[in-house]
Amino acid sequence: MPIAKELLDQLAAYRETALLGGGQDKIEARHQKGLMSARERLLAFFEPGTFMEIGMHAQQQCVDFGMAGKSMPGDGVVTGVGYVDGRPVAAYSQDFTVGGGAVGRIHAKKICDLMEYAQQAGMPVVGINDSGGARIQEGDESLSGYGQVFFKNVLLSGVVPQISIIAGPCAGGAAYSPALTDFLIMTRNNANMFICGPEVIKAATGQTASLDQFATAAAHASVSGNVHFIAEDEHHALEIARKLHSFLPSNNVMDPPHQLTGGLTISSDPGMNELVPDNPKAPLDVLQVIARLVDGGDFLEVHQEFAKNIVVGFARIEGMVVGIIANQPTVKAGTLDIDASDKSSRFIRFCNIFNIPLVTLVDVPGFMPGLAQERGGIIRHGAKMLFAYAAATVPKITVVLRKAYGGAYLAMCSRDMGADLVFAWPTAEIAVMGAEGAVKILYKREIAAAEDPKAADAAFAKDYREKFASPYRAAGKAMITDVIEPAQTRSVVAMALRNTLSKRETRPPKKHGNIPL
Amino acid sequence: MKKLRVTVEGKTYEVLVEVMEDSSASLSAARPPASASIAPRPVAPVTAPVAAAPAPAAAASAGPGDVPSPLAGKVVSIDVKVGDTVAEGAQVATVEAMKMNTYIYAPKAGKVSAIHANPGDGIEEGAPLLTIA
Repeated sequence: MPIAKELLDQLAAYRETALLGGGQDKIEARHQKGLMSARERLLAFFEPGTFMEIGMHAQQQCVDFGMAGKSMPGDGVVTGVGYVDGRPVAAYSQDFTVGGGAVGRIHAKKICDLMEYAQQAGMPVVGINDSGGARIQEGDESLSGYGQVFFKNVLLSGVVPQISIIAGPCAGGAAYSPALTDFLIMTRNNANMFICGPEVIKAATGQTASLDQFATAAAHASVSGNVHFIAEDEHHALEIARKLHSFLPSNNVMDPPHQLTGGLTISSDPGMNELVPDNPKAPLDVLQVIARLVDGGDFLEVHQEFAKNIVVGFARIEGMVVGIIANQPTVKAGTLDIDASDKSSRFIRFCNIFNIPLVTLVDVPGFMPGLAQERGGIIRHGAKMLFAYAAATVPKITVVLRKAYGGAYLAMCSRDMGADLVFAWPTAEIAVMGAEGAVKILYKREIAAAEDPKAADAAFAKDYREKFASPYRAAGKAMITDVIEPAQTRSVVAMALRNTLSKRETRPPKKHGNIPL
Repeated sequence: MKKLRVTVEGKTYEVLVEVMEDSSASLSAARPPASASIAPRPVAPVTAPVAAAPAPAAAASAGPGDVPSPLAGKVVSIDVKVGDTVAEGAQVATVEAMKMNTYIYAPKAGKVSAIHANPGDGIEEGAPLLTIA
């Protein structure tokens, strides 16, 4: 006897209810607004036919405030596993059509169960956030649910990559789960993220603040730095997440998806020589250097709109996945300031967790001078860079393009900070400070005693510049691996990476270091 | 010398005792009586409260249409004249700071209505270089 038809019909009916979420009319309403449903988002994210849903028939279990017997398909969240680039990825998508995507106990449990599964199986987690917040009817259970999600976020941090997409409201405590993950992608429209909204701010402080000022993707990407990528819409958000995933290993014990070639192409790129301005004061757009350095000019810039005086992002060089950290002299003269330090140290630490080699391009005149920087704690923030680089055990390749001054030179992964190999262009200037400032200290008496102090000053400065405004003094002290032509940069870095990929470095065991947060 | 009365098997003796080394006396003197209440010792603060550092004066703020200097430095050149029409993104000034020239581009298209700085001037971060109406 085959299985009874009623059972199959019943299964089909259960599935239909679950798949409709908050109902056909609500899904239609979303489509009218140009938005996908929660399940459609996941299907669009994964390779076709690979999505395996987990907990499709889950339901809310609350009996208070008239909730008894009320159906909440999936309890407002779709969870499961699918494939991206042929590798499994766990993902959840909050369903706004079911009770506004509010988080109840079962909703939170589904997310936690998925994360636990991802941790065991060693696969990344992608969360699509679109939720009105806590389900008030469930009170403390809802709050506890958030707490459990946060705890799991922390448990998974450093074990598997965690990517958050903010594609709807994400308010109050809910914002802390994405904040605990590695990368946040936020849609330009239809999404808000904040701890206290305009009404609460008004009531508590009397300040008038609109969501545009602090809660949108633009505000978070450029001012607060909470968001790493702005997506034009939800499709674009999924595309960014897939692109990001293409550079990341599935977990911390795997290597990133290098696409190693049989041999390396060692060729010169005269175009790189042409990029370098004659005048050392003329800024060199480091994005152009990166475009020539990486495979196919394909560079995924992270935190593009935030602290633009430093550029960080992922690329491949001769197939090898790298994290690039580069000063950007076209913005704030390429100085390191508080935001630039925060941005890059977080990126360096991410790369170190996931075995991604670091390539550092140095063109830094120093730390940003100024009262606001000093009062804002540039010492504490700048120290994060030193900490992150020194603590990183992945291959570290540094290229000094031009300026490399003072503490900022050390903070850009000098040999002393544990760089494995350091190359310098002939334009490199490695010194503790600029010539003008240095001679005023070194030759204070001589300049004061000179008949023509101005001429003496200039002469001393010229002498100092000749000594330090070249890489050979540092190279003479074996602080530099080699001085290279800019045209050789790609081939030399590729070979340096290939030689260093097998690096194994052990450190004394400890719980964790105490990075100056 | 202490005089003690000792009774042994019902018979009382009076004895003189000399205490050679009165250690118990000094110990008991050092110890506070068990019943005495232990008053909390006032703890001197390890760090004294300090007055907050004075807040810096607000930086010169730019008005509408003003093109501010993105960082403190020295004006190298103003690359436009009053009355010039500029396109969005056109280079309008150069500021030198931190051994580097920073080019300043027009944030919007318009006509240069005023110039607030001359080559060689020092300029604060956020201070207006020129105004585009």
